Amino acid sequence: MLEIRELTRRFGDNTAVDHVSFEVPAGQMTGFVGGNGAGKTTTMRMVMGVLGIDEGEVRWQGRPITRLDRRSFGYMPEERGLYPKQPILDQLVYIAQLKGMARVEARAQVQELLERFGLGGRTTDHLEKLSLGNQQRVQIIASVLPRPAALILDEPFSGLDPKAVDSMVDLLREYTRDDVPVLFSSHQLDLVERLCDRLVVLSHGRRVAAGTVTELRDAGVPRFRLVLGGDAGWVRDLRGLEVLDLDGTTALVEVREDGAEQHLVAEATGRGDVHEFVRVRPALSEIYREATA
Amino acid sequence: MNADSTDRSTDRSTDRGTDRSTEPAWLLVTRREVVSRITDKSFLVGTVLMVAMLVGFIGFTAWQDGRTDEATLAATPDAAEMASAIEESAPEVDDRVEVTVLEVDDRDAAEAALREDEADAWLHPADGGWQLTSESSEQDSLTDVARAVVRQQVLAENAADVGSTVEALEAGSTVSTDFLRGDAEKASVAEAVGFVFVFLFYFAALVFGMQLASSVIEEKQSRIVEIIAAAIPLRHLLAGKVLGNTALAMIQLLVYLAVGLVGLTFTPYKSFVPDLSGPTAWFVGFFFAGFVALACLWAVAGSLASRTEDLQATSTPLTMLMLVMFFGGVSLDGRGQVIASFVPPVSAVVMPKRILAGGVAWWEPLLALGLLAAFAAVTVWVGERLYRRALLQTGGRVTLRQAWAAAE
Repeated sequence: MLEIRELTRRFGDNTAVDHVSFEVPAGQMTGFVGGNGAGKTTTMRMVMGVLGIDEGEVRWQGRPITRLDRRSFGYMPEERGLYPKQPILDQLVYIAQLKGMARVEARAQVQELLERFGLGGRTTDHLEKLSLGNQQRVQIIASVLPRPAALILDEPFSGLDPKAVDSMVDLLREYTRDDVPVLFSSHQLDLVERLCDRLVVLSHGRRVAAGTVTELRDAGVPRFRLVLGGDAGWVRDLRGLEVLDLDGTTALVEVREDGAEQHLVAEATGRGDVHEFVRVRPALSEIYREATA
Repeated sequence: MNADSTDRSTDRSTDRGTDRSTEPAWLLVTRREVVSRITDKSFLVGTVLMVAMLVGFIGFTAWQDGRTDEATLAATPDAAEMASAIEESAPEVDDRVEVTVLEVDDRDAAEAALREDEADAWLHPADGGWQLTSESSEQDSLTDVARAVVRQQVLAENAADVGSTVEALEAGSTVSTDFLRGDAEKASVAEAVGFVFVFLFYFAALVFGMQLASSVIEEKQSRIVEIIAAAIPLRHLLAGKVLGNTALAMIQLLVYLAVGLVGLTFTPYKSFVPDLSGPTAWFVGFFFAGFVALACLWAVAGSLASRTEDLQATSTPLTMLMLVMFFGGVSLDGRGQVIASFVPPVSAVVMPKRILAGGVAWWEPLLALGLLAAFAAVTVWVGERLYRRALLQTGGRVTLRQAWAAAE
């Protein structure tokens, strides 16, 4: 498990990351969301040891992280790019060697990954000759060499077409199955909701929400939707509820006093037909908007 | 406390960048630098072109030196006597000039001969002396020979007129030159080779320095440096880049020097080659220390920039330093030269020049090389700190002060 504790970084008077804490459990995909300048990239760079830490610490498997630990992590920086004018096989082998792999072994693994991403026939092409999507694939391969102990990916899905996103997701799932913790940042909330086990929301350098998707959606004040056979206007008169929306037979209410919803159901069945009574959980995008507002 | 100390020890073992199974990180970086550069077309073409120019220049010098100038001199009957005197005496004046006389009837015939390229010049008396007429360009060797012979002939006649001889008239009028050390030709060869040394250093430091700085920017701009920084200590990256570029510069230098020295044996200057090999060996040593010192500074110039466009600004102090070294190396003499030959990094070019000129005590190059090596050690240390801190700062140019004070 990767733990981030009270991590803080200042640039002059500006506190880019302000006592941020969260966990990236083994075998789970943790999505890191927040607007531009929220501090996602700064946090990830501190986790990778690329940027100094002003306060707080990063822990790995229950102890402070070392350079050797970080060397075993897979990392994809924000504005990615490898050497534009070098054959892709050569530079991937170089990176694998820097991470401590032997040359022969590195070659074999790179070759295998390139084939898997449909780049097996282009090993001697210069990176700049590839399409943007293919360059992204090469970048992904660079981050998973050699088998990473953890994956820290800054916007790994940006610029990928849906098919490439799927093959990327398949690859990431392989690692989470092997208990590798994965932290990735993204602007695409729908993607985050679809992929992530957990979510961390940053806003202006502070953590404003964290937890599993279900936890977050359940976290707010409970809301219920009631659909009746007849007019629902009487709901306004009940105590302990706030009516958010009323439209003929349909009412959306927020529970202000515990148990008020039980009272509502009893009252409704007493008055006639109840077509629907359901808990309404906010969409992730709503939670996100509220948290970062 | 305990955890901390284990942490440090693991850190240190990776600092060396060694896993038992693989090569040290700096060596991997060095190899990539060398391989990616040596397989680069522009580098290969540049080197081959330079060698070709060297060979061409030496070949031209040798050919120029070995050939005999043949000249045809047209003479009308009134100049026939003087012309044949020139024909006869030419080898005495310059053994590489051979003059043939073409007798013509009159002015018109002489001019026709010039126009049709049958003669190179036409000799005829002119008011109070002689004139050599050519079609549109004169042949220097013929002019020189003609001048000397005509002067000799006329002087002899004039001397006879006053009842004397040329020897008697010229007695005691010569000024000859002499050197306490070496001789004139040796001094001019030393001067020329010294210029070549200065130029080679300047050229290599500028070309490889710029290349090194832009490869640092390439890595910084593409953020691959973050991937590398997460994998290996940045000082290994710096060491690898500096060593790689130094190796390339040294290989190129040795090729040029070898071609130059071997080429020189085919020219009339071959007798100087044994005298040049000692100073050349010293030069290689000074080049190495000077280049390492400057390479670190070039890497810093690269790390301060965020984009290639910034390099112009961040490297200005260095390009200035290069110019100071170049002009200092070329123009300093006397006491200034002696002082500069100990001051790094200028000593890298000035001391080899002094060694070439001779008269340097045995300890002087050693002291200068030691000072230069110490200077290189300082720039490596300072450069490493600046490079490490500036490299991962993004967004705009970093000033030296910011880089020095920056937290990591």
